[in-house]
Amino acid sequence: MKQENGDGAQAVRLSRQMLRRGAALAALFGIGMLAVLLARLYRLQISQHDFYESLALEQQLRETKGAAARGSITDTNGNPLAVSATVENVYLSPMEIEADGEDRELIARGLAEILGTDPDDLYEKTGRKGSWYVTAARKLEREQADRVRAFKAEHGLKGVRLEADTKRYYPNSRLACHLLGFVGTDNVGLEGIEARYDEVLAGTAARSLRATNAYGSELLFSRYEDYRAGEEGSDIVLTLDATVQYYVEKHLRQAALDYDAVNGAGAIAMDPKTGAILAMASLDDYDPNDFLSIGERAREQADEAQSEEERAQRIREAQTRQWRNKALSDTYEPGSTFKIITLAMALEEGKVSLTDSFYCGGSVSVTGRTNPIRCWKSGGHGSQSLTQAVQHSCNAAFVNIGLRVGAERFYDYCEAFGFLKLSDDPDASLSARTGVDLAGESGSIWWSRNTFCSKKNLSQLAAASFGQTFTITPLQLVCAVSACVNGGYLMEPYVVRQIVAPDGTVAMNREPHVVRQVISENTSRQVRAILEQVVGDPKEGTGRNAAVTGYRIGGKTGTSEKVSLEARTGQKEYIVSFIGFAPADDPKIVLLVFLDTPSDKSGVYVSGGQMAAPVVGRMLADILPYLGVAPGSGGAVEAHMPACAGLPLTDAAKRVREAGLRFRTIGDGDTVTDQLPAAGSEIAEGTEIILYLGADISPESECVPELTGLSYEEARDVLSYYGLYLNTRSALGGERTVSAQSLPAGALAEHGTVLEVTLVDQDETMLGKY
Amino acid sequence: MRYDGARLTGLSDAKNVGRRPAFDGPFFTISMLLLAAGVVMVLSASYPRAWYDPAHVTGGNAVYYFVRQLVFALLGVGAMLLASRLPMAFYRRVAFPFLFGTVFLLMLVPLIGVKANGSRRWLGIGGLTLQPSELAKLAVILSFAVLICRFRGRMRSFRWGILPFAGILGVLVGLLVLEPHFSASVILLAIGAVMLFLGGVRLGWFAGAFGAAGAGLAVLLTFFPYASSRVNTWRDPFSDTSDRGYQIVQSLYTIGSGGLSGLGLGGSRQKFLYLPEEHNDFIFSVVCEELGFIGAALILCLFALLILRGFWIAFHCRGRFSFLVVAGITSLLAIQVFLNVAVVTNLVPCTGISLPLFSYGGTALLIQLFELGIVLSASRDIPEH
Repeated sequence: MKQENGDGAQAVRLSRQMLRRGAALAALFGIGMLAVLLARLYRLQISQHDFYESLALEQQLRETKGAAARGSITDTNGNPLAVSATVENVYLSPMEIEADGEDRELIARGLAEILGTDPDDLYEKTGRKGSWYVTAARKLEREQADRVRAFKAEHGLKGVRLEADTKRYYPNSRLACHLLGFVGTDNVGLEGIEARYDEVLAGTAARSLRATNAYGSELLFSRYEDYRAGEEGSDIVLTLDATVQYYVEKHLRQAALDYDAVNGAGAIAMDPKTGAILAMASLDDYDPNDFLSIGERAREQADEAQSEEERAQRIREAQTRQWRNKALSDTYEPGSTFKIITLAMALEEGKVSLTDSFYCGGSVSVTGRTNPIRCWKSGGHGSQSLTQAVQHSCNAAFVNIGLRVGAERFYDYCEAFGFLKLSDDPDASLSARTGVDLAGESGSIWWSRNTFCSKKNLSQLAAASFGQTFTITPLQLVCAVSACVNGGYLMEPYVVRQIVAPDGTVAMNREPHVVRQVISENTSRQVRAILEQVVGDPKEGTGRNAAVTGYRIGGKTGTSEKVSLEARTGQKEYIVSFIGFAPADDPKIVLLVFLDTPSDKSGVYVSGGQMAAPVVGRMLADILPYLGVAPGSGGAVEAHMPACAGLPLTDAAKRVREAGLRFRTIGDGDTVTDQLPAAGSEIAEGTEIILYLGADISPESECVPELTGLSYEEARDVLSYYGLYLNTRSALGGERTVSAQSLPAGALAEHGTVLEVTLVDQDETMLGKY
Repeated sequence: MRYDGARLTGLSDAKNVGRRPAFDGPFFTISMLLLAAGVVMVLSASYPRAWYDPAHVTGGNAVYYFVRQLVFALLGVGAMLLASRLPMAFYRRVAFPFLFGTVFLLMLVPLIGVKANGSRRWLGIGGLTLQPSELAKLAVILSFAVLICRFRGRMRSFRWGILPFAGILGVLVGLLVLEPHFSASVILLAIGAVMLFLGGVRLGWFAGAFGAAGAGLAVLLTFFPYASSRVNTWRDPFSDTSDRGYQIVQSLYTIGSGGLSGLGLGGSRQKFLYLPEEHNDFIFSVVCEELGFIGAALILCLFALLILRGFWIAFHCRGRFSFLVVAGITSLLAIQVFLNVAVVTNLVPCTGISLPLFSYGGTALLIQLFELGIVLSASRDIPEH
């Protein structure tokens, strides 16, 4: 204690050094430290505030998007083609599952049972580290979503969540799939109208912005929320007519099957007066409700792949192929169908007249070509009038017609018809599009003006006169031919007729748009008259297989060789086509059908006249009555099977005869107990039907006989012998024989089945690539 | 520097304890302001974690941490007042027993300590935990002050001025390295250096010590990848925002998004489990986010005022021992505040240092308040003006 006191007394004085050093520390800690830290805080909080704030907000804020109701797509009569319904997605929040210690096993098993998915997969998802959103199932419909909700409520699960979404339904399945397109899982339109008009259809989703904790769930006291109301999408009304589309697809699909068109097929129907697309079809097709699954043939090919990788590649290719709208995205050499255009320009220019005569010796020499251009008929057509030259689809005559027009004028007309756009650079290859309101339209490809208009070499002009050495899209041809037959007006093609806002007001009403008048009304009338002779003349018309009894139809065949493919691979492939219009004096519809690479194994000669023309005829036979075009003379050739069951034989016999049918009886009663075929069936006139008098119809199926090559009456009688029946949409008369039947030979058919057959005139003079 | 020593005779007389003059009002007031702010910030910063309870500690009780901190704050104020009543001579007397006790506890830590995050730093006493390293800081200040007084006039020599002190520090730091507890070692070395600096050791030694520390650090960074990865994270925290850099990046988000005026008291969004240790070592980040640059600067200014007032008391102390103890405690406070804020603002590499009077932690708060009480005790000896 003593020492301490002494020490303390001495310690009263602080040495100068101590004070000096203490002052230094006080300055360092009290002032220097403050200055450094304040400077640092200033930098972080003031200078770099925006930078750090944006990063912080990015992790703190979650945007939840509601599902905006996507607008529907209807055909011109209001039939729904694409509609949306509210569905729900189920997602897991592994962070919350972990935080709340929820039973992963229970969640996985319970959900798997409801969703019908793999419980192991779900179990893995419930354990994703650090995640607050893992999709468990998409687009559940009401009933399933309710079961998930009940499961969630029963076990008080926070980690299982539902959110609203919308799902697209295409009630008609494949119908008009290429035109409509489809939407992806995120509700974004990916093809067709869905893609082209995505913004119109989609509307805007309601969005809510909220701050969340690090696990993605709500803050304890929510203090940061922002909600923006969404808007429903608008509805779209198409020019498309679902019924016309149905007929077009039905016959196109049958044709692709009949003639084994390995590269698919396409068809376009347009109202020539307005440019409104009535139907557009392409094969291969797909179901937009399930746009990823591929056709059977493609799947078999994929399964044959050597490796998994190759298989996936093949599936991808098949998907791309089936999504492709050939009528819009493919370009091809139109071949003889283009002669319509050459004819129209020559008539308009006054370079040809109906009284002109054209000689065809089988080939024609052209300046700049070493070999003469050969006509499809090697023997030549001899001397022919203009109409006959078109009827015969004579290449030699059309080379002369083209040469008369001249390269420069020819090019000008091609521009006027919308096939190309002239540019200032005479060496540039030329291209053009129709401007249709669809995604994925390709452009044509033409020789540069310098090449085409060379005085020394007329071979381009000569070949172009009958539709070779350039490529265009099928839609371009339809538009140009429409201009040739509608009085001369090139119309801009369109698919969307109306856009209707969610409140019911019409936001857009499309009026037909005349691009320009290309030829005069008078020329157009002449073109129509000549083309009607191509179909209507049963002796000389190369398009006569497109004829429909009772209707005036005009048209032109086309058989184009894929020249560039042959140059590359030496392989001969053809696209056969037919473009028709009806009624010929006042067209309401222009219809193009093309089949890509059909096979001669079908027994039918590969040409537009033999394959494509009858398809157009059958389509028109269905479509024209639907469009309200009354058939003229000639009338229907089909009889309607009357109802005879329960009648005394005498009465029944009278009815059958009145219907234009014959009959035989089976059994020995006096009363008709049954009949073949069923009442109301449309069958060929003069068919021998069966009336059962107490006997039973054999339940066994019959093997369909081979009908190809038989006349209509022969086929009818062969079939009725087996208790099978037939009808046709093709015109009768002439030397027509069966070229295709709706059930192949050897297929099994129940008694009373009605087959539809295609009849074509297979006159030898008609067999050629024209 | 004019004061009357006569009034202070019989300082250590136990009978006179109750009649000692009042302690320094400003120092006490600033301490209480900071403590109140600290407790409120613990409530604000901790309730999301306490509510969500991801580590299964609180049972979902949102005020779990707050209530504990409040209880310890009240106990701490009691400890502070008690400490202010004990005469400085008492601290002088208990300095070495206290040092030996601390060493004993530090030796216990590796044996019976509570392990957390790969280190044994805590001793469990009933439901409480204690970091003996907190005691070691006070032990260094008191024992060094005693020795410096005793070796007065000989402090410039190596034998007296360095060797004994180095011995004490060596033992303490050695024990801390065993835990391991890097940040406490650094603070201990720093406070030891401060004491020796005030005690009159030749400045040359400091130059040497700094050189040695630099060389040691270089060796550490070269041969220990753990240490060098920390430095890399420090230099570019965004190089790895999900793992090593996560904590500091989140802290920068937190501080930066506060801006000038902050999101308002209680308005932090980062505390919703984004920012780790938000009521603990990183509580100042939440202060910055909620109160903005203005609020954070205000808090730092209060700390600076407290430090300056501490030195003011030291300068007015009667006797070297009191001077050394008060300056030492004030410096310790300053070092901890600086290092904590420097860490959360990524001014220095990340290491665990709590913010005095703010960070959650019962016994540490208790000890800090007791230390401030010692300063108050010394302030009672200052003659009135």
